[in-house]
Amino acid sequence: MAISLKEKYELLGCIQCGRCTAGCPVSLRTFLNVRRVVYDGMVGPGPKDAKERPEAWNCTTCSNCTERCPKGVKPMELLIGLRSAAIERGRVTPTIRDALESTFKHGNPWGRIRDKRTEWASELSVPVVGEGEAAPLLFFVGCTPAYDTRAQSIAVAVAKLFEAAGVDYSTLGTAESCCGNEIRRMGEEGLFELLVEGNRELLESHGVETVVTGSPHCLNTLRNEYGDLGCDVLHYSQFLKRLLEEGRLTLSGGVEKTAAFHDACFLGKHNGIYDEPRDVLARVPGVTFVEMDRSRERALCCEGGGGRMWVEAEEERGERLADVRVADAVALGADYLVTACPFCLLTLEDAVKTSGNEGKIEIVDLAELVAMAL
Amino acid sequence: MNIVVCVKQVPETAEADLKIAPDGKSIVEEGLALQINEPDNYALEQALLLTEEHGGDVTVVTLGGDSSEEVLRMSMAKGAQEAARLADSAFERGDAVATARALAAAVKGLEYDLVLTGCMASDDGHTQVGVAMAEFLGIPHATYVTQMEVGDGSVTVGRELEGGLIEKLVLGLPCVVGIQTGINEPRYASIMGIAKAAKREIALKSAADLGLEEGDVGEAGSATVVTELSFPAVGEGAEILDGTPPEASAKLADVLKDKGFV
Repeated sequence: MAISLKEKYELLGCIQCGRCTAGCPVSLRTFLNVRRVVYDGMVGPGPKDAKERPEAWNCTTCSNCTERCPKGVKPMELLIGLRSAAIERGRVTPTIRDALESTFKHGNPWGRIRDKRTEWASELSVPVVGEGEAAPLLFFVGCTPAYDTRAQSIAVAVAKLFEAAGVDYSTLGTAESCCGNEIRRMGEEGLFELLVEGNRELLESHGVETVVTGSPHCLNTLRNEYGDLGCDVLHYSQFLKRLLEEGRLTLSGGVEKTAAFHDACFLGKHNGIYDEPRDVLARVPGVTFVEMDRSRERALCCEGGGGRMWVEAEEERGERLADVRVADAVALGADYLVTACPFCLLTLEDAVKTSGNEGKIEIVDLAELVAMAL
Repeated sequence: MNIVVCVKQVPETAEADLKIAPDGKSIVEEGLALQINEPDNYALEQALLLTEEHGGDVTVVTLGGDSSEEVLRMSMAKGAQEAARLADSAFERGDAVATARALAAAVKGLEYDLVLTGCMASDDGHTQVGVAMAEFLGIPHATYVTQMEVGDGSVTVGRELEGGLIEKLVLGLPCVVGIQTGINEPRYASIMGIAKAAKREIALKSAADLGLEEGDVGEAGSATVVTELSFPAVGEGAEILDGTPPEASAKLADVLKDKGFV
């Protein structure tokens, strides 16, 4: 017999202190009550799946609850587990279903075919590794920077910076598949395992020594959930810092702007990468950096993670967190709200448009900002 | 109620750059992702919903090569009890009539109250297999069905007509119903579910198993002949707006304003 959620997620460790709910950014805006979900899992038969607890789809998997739990319970994993049970019953919202089916068929959740994965690089000369060839330094682009017409500028900027710094690197071209970070968080464990297997084989076949990712989401899963890959996994912000420090990348231009930095959950909270993007920002000539009140581990989530790019919150009662974030940055007098994550870029930019802040602030990816100063 | 669902694996072509094969009569399938024909997916869902409500089994049947078993496994992962594949080189290059004859022969050997198909296949777009199959089976049929209610010995369907009209029909069981997309919301088949279904048996049927002669199926059994495939000529009257998205949308706004649409 399958083990219960209570056993699987060791819910009996919970002392119902409520720190999870208190720290949950989504509880500001939806009726997701993490403590309550853990309680129900602990005392009764509990919900069977996310269909019975639709608010489980509200979670952005920012990991605040899990980081803050004094007893080491992992409420975020429980919420993912409820989603998994719904997935196994086939009972998921059509947008999630389509993202998963697309990932199975085409290796990306955006419903685009594999052949178009390198479209972002059509006007650049980006090196693609051939079958069986070595790729010691690999730029793992990621589905969103590869396919999303707005986020493609992240991939383009990284490629331009690598070229400017004379970095000898490769990409996987159309052979690259989804890293699976969001897939696992949507609860599709089987598909996640399939992706891990495929990507592991691919990286091994090219003798990859260092992976530089275009997205913190790819960074997170490649680094923490693939087992031992036998190579370093870095986010491009970490790699750019290195290039700037070593003097390989020099910035002759300048960007005379006041810039605030939005910590992406999967860069910051999940991987502790807070300083590197700030160090990179500090090295861009002309930039005046302003720190947001809610920053680093206290940063407010943009609501783009955990599969939420493909599903809207079930119930809403407050402002979108991205709207709050943009308003905070405007109040701070920032010209640019800089982020280093394709999902944050998209959710925050949408928020600028829908909250009437167009013309007041621009959302800029860190790589784009650095490339402006070339 | 026992339901047979006829499904087909088709290449996904929405975004693909299609090429015509050297024979001039087919497209190059290499590099194209294969999937269940979209209306067939709705037909499968409809069968699962009906058997969940009224009891009975769902059997999925396909005619196709080895790769089409993926569609059957996905169907079993979603809840279909039995699966059969019409696997015989004799079936190759058959048109809608030849395919319908083979499927009808397979269905005849099963216990069924209802046969569901998708209303059309996205690859050749014949929209004839369901109707021809009903003729071969000598039972009633309805096409483009977007509403369905099962009664005692009959089924009431709503057919999609032009202009948002729905034609209501009552058909006696058994019958063949061609399902249009949008009638339901197809469920998801998880990868673990598909992996479990990989262990289940798929019945393989040759033309001989179905009591069919070589002349009944494939090219020989077809009523039509494909002589040539070609891309439609680029017509006139279309204007492609180029530029970045902001530029293109500004141009579009000008066009709409000029033509008096806004």
